[in-house]
Amino acid sequence: MITDTIPAARRPASVERPGPALVGAVVVLVAATLVPLGYVAWSVIATGPLEVYALVARPRVVELLVNTVGLVVVTVPLCVVLGVGAAWLVERTDVPGRSLWRPLLVAPLAVPAFVNSYAWVSVVPSLHGFWAGILVATTSYFPFVYVPAAATLRRLDPAMEESARALGSSPAGAFWRVVLPQLRLAILGGGLLIGVHLLAEYGAFAMLRFPTLTTAIFEQFQATFNGAAGSTLAGVLVLLCLVLLAGEAAARGTARYSRIGSGAARYLSPHRLGAKAIPAWSVLAVLVALSLGVPAWTILRWLWIGGTEVWDVDGIVSATVQTAGLAAVAATATTVLAFPFAWVAVRYRGFFARFVEGTNFVTSSMPGIVTALALVTVAIRLAPPLYQTVALVLAAYVLLFIPRAMVNLRSGLAQIPPGIEEASRSLGVSPTRTFVRVTLRLVAPAAAAGASLVFVAVATELTATLLLAPTGTSTLAMRFWSLSSELDYAAAAPYALLLVGLSVPVTLVLFRQSTRAAAL
Amino acid sequence: MRPPWRRIGALLAAAVLVTSAAACSSASDESDGLLIYNAQHESLTKEWIDAFTKETGIKVTYRQGGDTELGNQLIAEGTSSPADVILTENSPAMAAVEKAGLFADVDPATVAQVPAQYRPATNKWTGVAARTTVFAYDKSKLTEAQLPRSIMDLEKPEWKGRWGAPPVKPDFQAIVAAMLDLTGEPATSAWLAGMKSGAEIFQDNIATLRAINAGEVDGGIIYHYYWFRDQAKTKEISGNTALHYFRNQDPGAFVSISGGGVLNSSKKKADAQKFLAFVTSKAGQEVLEKGTSFEYPVASGVPANPALVPLADLQAPAVNPSDLDAKKVTDLMTSAGLL
Amino acid sequence: MTAHALEISGLAKEFDGQEVLHGVDLSVQSGTVTAVVGASGCGKTTLLRLVAGFETPDAGTISIAGRPVADVGRSVPAHRRDVGYVAQDGALFPHLTVGQNIAYGLNGSARSTRARVTELLETVSLDADMARRRPHQLSGGQQQRVALARALAREPALMLLDEPFSALDTGLRSSTRAAVARLLAEAGVTTLLVTHDQEEALSIADQVAVMRDGRFTRVGTPQQVYLTPGDVFTARFLGDCVLLPATITSGVADCALGRVPVRGDVADGSVTLLLRPEQLVAGAVSDGEGGTGVGTVLSSEFRGRDVLLTVDVGGGDPISVRRHGIDPPGVDAKVRVDVIGTATVLDERP
Repeated sequence: MITDTIPAARRPASVERPGPALVGAVVVLVAATLVPLGYVAWSVIATGPLEVYALVARPRVVELLVNTVGLVVVTVPLCVVLGVGAAWLVERTDVPGRSLWRPLLVAPLAVPAFVNSYAWVSVVPSLHGFWAGILVATTSYFPFVYVPAAATLRRLDPAMEESARALGSSPAGAFWRVVLPQLRLAILGGGLLIGVHLLAEYGAFAMLRFPTLTTAIFEQFQATFNGAAGSTLAGVLVLLCLVLLAGEAAARGTARYSRIGSGAARYLSPHRLGAKAIPAWSVLAVLVALSLGVPAWTILRWLWIGGTEVWDVDGIVSATVQTAGLAAVAATATTVLAFPFAWVAVRYRGFFARFVEGTNFVTSSMPGIVTALALVTVAIRLAPPLYQTVALVLAAYVLLFIPRAMVNLRSGLAQIPPGIEEASRSLGVSPTRTFVRVTLRLVAPAAAAGASLVFVAVATELTATLLLAPTGTSTLAMRFWSLSSELDYAAAAPYALLLVGLSVPVTLVLFRQSTRAAAL
Repeated sequence: MRPPWRRIGALLAAAVLVTSAAACSSASDESDGLLIYNAQHESLTKEWIDAFTKETGIKVTYRQGGDTELGNQLIAEGTSSPADVILTENSPAMAAVEKAGLFADVDPATVAQVPAQYRPATNKWTGVAARTTVFAYDKSKLTEAQLPRSIMDLEKPEWKGRWGAPPVKPDFQAIVAAMLDLTGEPATSAWLAGMKSGAEIFQDNIATLRAINAGEVDGGIIYHYYWFRDQAKTKEISGNTALHYFRNQDPGAFVSISGGGVLNSSKKKADAQKFLAFVTSKAGQEVLEKGTSFEYPVASGVPANPALVPLADLQAPAVNPSDLDAKKVTDLMTSAGLL
Repeated sequence: MTAHALEISGLAKEFDGQEVLHGVDLSVQSGTVTAVVGASGCGKTTLLRLVAGFETPDAGTISIAGRPVADVGRSVPAHRRDVGYVAQDGALFPHLTVGQNIAYGLNGSARSTRARVTELLETVSLDADMARRRPHQLSGGQQQRVALARALAREPALMLLDEPFSALDTGLRSSTRAAVARLLAEAGVTTLLVTHDQEEALSIADQVAVMRDGRFTRVGTPQQVYLTPGDVFTARFLGDCVLLPATITSGVADCALGRVPVRGDVADGSVTLLLRPEQLVAGAVSDGEGGTGVGTVLSSEFRGRDVLLTVDVGGGDPISVRRHGIDPPGVDAKVRVDVIGTATVLDERP
């Protein structure tokens, strides 16, 4: 008889403290990721409280706050309703065409939000303002809730719903009282992600002439470069981000996003919709048409109208090469630099590991524009030769996307069976060689996945690139932006196509992952 | 599952190749020839460069950017800037760089080619082209009699919701700088406040013109050449519109000067001066007259494109381009809530 | 003079302020198998990890083949200790084939490595063409054997096995156990294994050490440990017990089952007597019989090949007696319980 053996996977590899070299490396990296926050704090102090107050207590700031907060407060619940509703329809009912809806509802993730704006504006040029912003934001971001909700619903233990029904709950009651609470983590995580994206987005809202804090910061930067007004707005934005984070953490409580283990869930027969199948199907069709149909159709239409002339081969090739080069270098650098973070977070317990996780959580919500502003200031003041160099842009990308690389690295490291490294050492292989021969080899697939996520994120990044790219550099996103600003929609279409095309493989991976894991 | 080493290795190798290719392509920028920081429209500058290289054999490369962006970059780079020449669309950026002491004196021969009102008195830089402020309007919505007499009229309540402009653009900020210079701070602040409450905000000149054409607003403040360019092409965003010139030395008749200057830190000052001399010479200015940019020539007595209203007829107000204060304008616009 | 393959002296270790090992001593002779037996959490795995070099002791010394590897202040790292370690789940490298796993610690030419791998596979009774397979394609028992082969590849001075058979299905366990015992004996390699299964320890070990809360309660041969466990805990851990209060007079115990000879020199007085179930024989008697050793069956549990009788012999708790399952006495029947062999006196009261 086996008594309470601790499952091997949960035995910590070491209860020691991390060594000084590791601590040193991680502390340096943490300091680097905190530069944006530090910049905001420093500029607030340098400007002086009176002036800061004067700059913040302007009607313009009130207007921007109302817009930005309103955007978040309306879009997130809307996305939650749409995401959960669509997930429930697809995973739990017999609505026709489920195998088609699944990929179609994930596909909008491949369309960057500013490309979505471009599509809508070229169809309805007078589209602008608050509700236009809500429309584009919702259709761009609802998959962030849909994907984890669908994954959770797929893995839900049917016994709970069945027990609820046996205890007298109606189907709707069972949904509210039993299913929805299970979706709490998916909703909170997806909602936070959407909120962070909304706060950080520039291109989509600028094109829609909807002023938010981020668009205003960008405009301030273009006009005054480093002025107090811009950095004060950045401070307000950062404050909003922190509020969002705190709210999500409070709502989540101590629950952690866990991976549900592999192994098929028991099959639960879907609800029969009967007469309601037609309206359900129509709702999904409308959602897909708005979120995917409009951009797809618009891009194709402009390509058709533009003909072969819009394919400026020189420009496209040069932009692609520059984008790919930047993205590749950024992806490699980010993955390598994220490794110490992931190592500490997975292999150690105690205060230091929790500290690393905490700072990572905070910096994952920093908008690109704040990071860019911070780096510009740091470069100008402390290292002028770095200003307007590729190194600065790459630094911004690394700071922005370390959290994204961390996600995959952490799960990859956590999946290494714990006794493996000890087995290697007992076979006469020194710890360093063990690290190379065993650990790195085993974590490589997860690292590659994280790197490709970062690659796509960098390739489709607009805001920080516009601020930091050296004059003369032109990425796909930048070319797209300048062409669509000049209303040359046809010429912008090939770039839009390329930007979407770049995102497709990663979206495919996310889609396949969503059929297994329960968290993004 | 074995990690796909070959694939990872191939990806890394490709990344290295691609990055070095990109690095090389940007490095060749500065290897030989002149380097221009160009805020003018790319097509126009390319025409100048092609003609200049054909005539002198001197190679030229350029970096494209915006007025404020390039101006700020120059100021940040200081004396270690690799740029030899800067070309802008408006004057405030030139004034800022001049204030930072980064310009070399313009060759007297070049100065002689440009009339006094199109260059600063300090001769630290020179005008190379000009554009005039206009009020574009929807022909079907406004008659001659309903047009504003002065740009200052637009702040009045009767114009609320009927006009638009792109305050974010350095173009528009130059116009406000002139207004500040001509009418003083209180009047400009009041006008900006009126704009905040009454005008539609657009991203740039093109978006403004398109909106006027579509009937979303009755009219708007833009620079003239956008209208002419579109008229010469498909009339897609200007077919329903016409231009109104304020004249009478009104701030709304402000002619903004596009500037060109040689950097003090340049290692090829002689060639740089030659470039400026070429741009302001008859051959260079004729690019403006005969080309598709529709901007105004200012030097060597070259007339404007026949489609345009001649500069002399515009009755532009006299503004010293060095006096245009970009910083003050952005402060005022920030206070007004436009930024 | 033969140095012991493993010498442990005064080993102590604490984790998070809790003492896990309280100063244990152990000697393992070359070529023998020692099993450390104890319940989960008693510290046996910590002991093994200290010997392997994955942890450093707070006090005490460890010597392997006469060479000190852990002392106050210094500790030889794991990869230099010349031990072979087999983890509970085998810990095979998932990204290598079976052959590459086994060859992992080897440093010879390709040809000599391949030959050694084939030889090792044969030693653990696996087909030579298994070398090309991946660990996940093997069964649990096969993975365990590959892990053994891998550890044996470097001909270490000491083999350390951590619960080597607990991950296997019960059916496989005994056959694998026998095979591994044979293998280790043939290889003549010194082994220290750690287990919670007392049957396993008793069957394959030359020396058994029973551990409780970080201390050894009894170290000796399997027979010594089983027959003279010393205290109640150890006795109970190693097998079922029947405990009876008794009085010793001149080396013979008087208890509810009559007069029973006692092992060893014991002083007169009251003691607790330990009898093993196999020492008790129950035979049916007519209802009228009485006397010592005769009792009433209180309950009878049919277990297939035998029945477990609970018999009240008077003067204390009822005792459990096993009897073969043919014509078992029913409830309320009278049986006489006879004792075979000698009893052992325990050090503590139950």
